[in-house]
Amino acid sequence: MAGRQIYNPNGFKNIEEDGSVIGYQFEFKAQYYRGFTLSIIRDIKINVDGVDEPRENIRITVNGETFTLEEARTVIDPEYRWEFGDYAAVTVLRRGGLSKGRHHIKAIQIIAPSYMPFQLEPVCETDFEI
Amino acid sequence: MGFDIKRSVSLYSYQDEYYDKKLDLEGCLRETAKTGATGVELLAEQMVKRFPLPIEDGTFCHQWFEWLKKYNLEPSCYGAFLENRIFDNRTLTLKEQIKMMESDLHLASLLGFPVIRTLVSTPMDVIEGSLEYAERVGVKIGLEVHAPFSLNSEWAEGYLSMIRRTGTKCFGFIPDMGIFCKNIPDVVRDKARRHGALEECIKIVDDAYAKRVARGFVKIKYGLNLGKANMEYRIANGMNEMMDAIQAAGGGPADMEYAGNSFTYSWSDPQDIIDNIDYIFHTHAKFYNMYEDYTETAVAIPEVVEAFKKAGYRGYLSSEYEGGEHLRDAMEVDSIEQVCRHQEALRRAIEE
Repeated sequence: MAGRQIYNPNGFKNIEEDGSVIGYQFEFKAQYYRGFTLSIIRDIKINVDGVDEPRENIRITVNGETFTLEEARTVIDPEYRWEFGDYAAVTVLRRGGLSKGRHHIKAIQIIAPSYMPFQLEPVCETDFEI
Repeated sequence: MGFDIKRSVSLYSYQDEYYDKKLDLEGCLRETAKTGATGVELLAEQMVKRFPLPIEDGTFCHQWFEWLKKYNLEPSCYGAFLENRIFDNRTLTLKEQIKMMESDLHLASLLGFPVIRTLVSTPMDVIEGSLEYAERVGVKIGLEVHAPFSLNSEWAEGYLSMIRRTGTKCFGFIPDMGIFCKNIPDVVRDKARRHGALEECIKIVDDAYAKRVARGFVKIKYGLNLGKANMEYRIANGMNEMMDAIQAAGGGPADMEYAGNSFTYSWSDPQDIIDNIDYIFHTHAKFYNMYEDYTETAVAIPEVVEAFKKAGYRGYLSSEYEGGEHLRDAMEVDSIEQVCRHQEALRRAIEE
């Protein structure tokens, strides 16, 4: 009896640019039942191994286009909806990325569907390996 | 006065299989047809990628009508969302919201839907401002009556007086059968147990619900500040007393969660359907857990369907499975089987 999968188990990796590791990346699905424009993402909070990542170091990629969380506030183009059931890639800029071995991530997707009197704040946790 | 009650499935029901990519949109239509339903309800934003572009440019419409033909289904209702807070720094202006509503009406008409479902958060002015367009494209606007809201209430009266004032035939209600829950669904209780709720506290919450059902729920008031309206509703229905009792019994977060969730369900007299039948042209047949013997954990299916028959309802009952969200943290969800059982329960209630 296993619950639903939120993270892509094969999506955790360090990201290299010009020969040096500039951060790490993972993929997860939105914990809501329809697709939506990135503009209703109010925040994505990420904590890996007990350490909070600064908001300005977080990038979200859908359909090949990458945005900072600040930029995502104004993204309403249908080409870049976070589709229901599809992964979005999240990149966290952190020099050196994550060390090889096991880690734990706790991420919170803060999503504000207009009709709801409150925001959705699903906590997404898992262990993973780099 | 004969009735003509047809059965439909809202594809919302298959969200867990869709999420897991076990079913795509065509797969959902195939499963819908297998249940014996003749209607299909679509949340375009859930299953049409790059919404609304492929509907607007027609590429999706072609495919859609091909599928409908292949599976012998007809469109029953289009679920609209009206993202009027699409930007975090403001609510869209009235004109912008009307434009958005008209866009959904247009998209629904392109896909052959006779009705769109709008949510309780939709301002009255936006509905009123869209009526002329709705009439022009031949698509009705149905306001979902979802717990904690109810028919025969001051809240519903506001919409009825708008209907009388404008004389519109294009606006009415879409009752959600979650307003006919005799008790809290078992899947919600089982989730609370998994999260560590105490039996004593579960009993406090269940007893409080039974008391609300016996006494009659205090109705929610109309207000666009839904958070505030909802909190007043909860307090008027004994939330504070229930929370105090839970605290006194040593309840923790799981108990509080169960207590809070209990307000997601409500009980209305099925007579409400009969009283408002002139304004009901689609229905969400919400359900939470269907047993093998075709009974439901909470919703009074036979009683409510009986009321629809008595009222001479001509329209769809559209299965809307909402039990998955209480299972998916711990186990696999089988929406396909759940919807099959629910359709059989509806069929029996309608035909027998």
